Amino acid sequence: MKEKKIREKNNWKKEMALAPGYIIVGIWVIFTFVLIGWIILASFSTTREIFDGNIFKFATGLHPENYVKAWKTQKVSSYFMNSLLYTAVSCTAVIILGAPAAYVLSRFKFRGNGLIQNLFATALGIPAIMIIMPLFSLFSQLHMNQSKGLVIFLYIAVNLPFTIFFLNTFFRNLSVTFEEAAAIDGCSPMKTFWTIMLPLAQPGIITVSIFNFITIWNEYFISLIFANTAKTRPVAVGLYAMIQSMRYTGDWGGMFAAVVIVFLPTFLLYIFLSEKIIAGVTGGAIKG
Amino acid sequence: MKTKNKSMIILFLAPSVLLYLMVFLYPTARTVVMSFFKVEGVTDSVSLWKFNGLGNFKTLFNTPLFVSSLKNIALIWLIGGIGVMVVSLLFGVILTSGVHGKSFFRSVIYLPNVISAVAMGTMWINYVYNPDFGLLSSVLKSIGLSKLAATQWTSPEMVFWSMLVAYCFGMVGYHMLIWMSGIERIPVDYYEAATIEGANVFQRFSKITLPLLKGVCRTNIVLWTVSTMAFFVWSQLFSPVNLSASTVTPMSYMYELVFGASNSAVTVRDSGAGAAIGVILTIVVVVVFMLSQLIVKNDDVEL
Repeated sequence: MKEKKIREKNNWKKEMALAPGYIIVGIWVIFTFVLIGWIILASFSTTREIFDGNIFKFATGLHPENYVKAWKTQKVSSYFMNSLLYTAVSCTAVIILGAPAAYVLSRFKFRGNGLIQNLFATALGIPAIMIIMPLFSLFSQLHMNQSKGLVIFLYIAVNLPFTIFFLNTFFRNLSVTFEEAAAIDGCSPMKTFWTIMLPLAQPGIITVSIFNFITIWNEYFISLIFANTAKTRPVAVGLYAMIQSMRYTGDWGGMFAAVVIVFLPTFLLYIFLSEKIIAGVTGGAIKG
Repeated sequence: MKTKNKSMIILFLAPSVLLYLMVFLYPTARTVVMSFFKVEGVTDSVSLWKFNGLGNFKTLFNTPLFVSSLKNIALIWLIGGIGVMVVSLLFGVILTSGVHGKSFFRSVIYLPNVISAVAMGTMWINYVYNPDFGLLSSVLKSIGLSKLAATQWTSPEMVFWSMLVAYCFGMVGYHMLIWMSGIERIPVDYYEAATIEGANVFQRFSKITLPLLKGVCRTNIVLWTVSTMAFFVWSQLFSPVNLSASTVTPMSYMYELVFGASNSAVTVRDSGAGAAIGVILTIVVVVVFMLSQLIVKNDDVEL
């Protein structure tokens, strides 16, 4: 009881001591909101209003046609669909390939286990520049460059090490009693994995898939080199190409609308799942 | 477990290991070999390669644009690194000190990390740094600094710093999360004991938090190095047409050398030199990693 009284008395003092902290973090947060809020408002305005600094008045009303223009004439729709295809297929395939590998590495003792884990861990530090040139040369000999299949293949391969690394820790924390019980009931290890362990790993799989989604959606360098045609471009490279052209044609409203379309999917995902994403960052990075 | 599982182990691991060998091991090895050869086009067959010893490296270090790119990346790593580490640690400390709305602040600060760098860069260049209606110039004007407000933030003299600030803004959230996870692992009793003994905020920070964060600090430095060595998109965004000495980085220079898209006459196709740049960047990452292992021993809280 006495303790509680003291704490209440200290509360005011404590909040006052925290005031500088609130101010510093508050300014940063307000800046972030202004930055993103302004872009969204500008995407509904005309180029003229943007330059006059009148985007908050909407004197000529809202201009959703910026979005229509960006979506149709500037091919954002095509880039958007490409990105959707790339992320959906790669995210699924990465789990189908990565989860079994991570499981085996986390559960079985065999020669080379440590070596393989180290190999995957090293991949997290290899700069993209080290792998890009031989791959480009290899796939151009196979006449596969600038094809959708190749980009998907590369996204799968490039995101596998992180996925395995992340799921490895996750499987390690699952109790072995599930497998033991299944073995007693005569369930084969492989069946145990698909029917019992994989469903148990669902939270980890969801977290790592969100990460992979964000990474692949925003990926720039690989697609710049391997998928830089009007038909194959994903959103990041597409947006870059579009911005360059729209700046010259002076269609700023349309340009900001394109920016919004590109960041909206990951932004919305983040609004709903930020706690899960943040827990995943610290869980995945700390041992890296 | 038993060898009975051998077939399962092989079946489960083979696809991932094969992909790894094909997409990581083979290309890395080939790039290292390539860096010692004179190779013009990236698709040239090995029979056209001419052994060049350390020639590619020598050529690079005698190319002013490459030297500029090294200078830029060093500044990004050092100045940007200090800035990002200080700000992210400060935010981490503030958010773990018992403020209300911690998870809200944390989410907003991390937000730029989930948005495409191209979109973020466009916002900075076309809104924050815009001289006509930009955020920076209007804020400066409103507080009466009209002379400063007239600064052309993306002019050649300023563009490097503008680019660095925009890049670092996005990186703060990521490193803050890593600091926070470290701080939250420090037992609360340490702070309580120190408070009873009369230690103030700064003493608690310098005597408890900082020494116990050595391992997290190492993680942050290694991650920062890995991400800055790949500095590329921002450089392209801030100098979209041609490479310029103020924004060029090793990655963007390599892109010009190997895949050369710009019309600048500065660069002749030279894939061997491109490979050499890759080797240099990898060496930097490895050296930083090893130094950080040596200097900061893992003797802090159980992580």
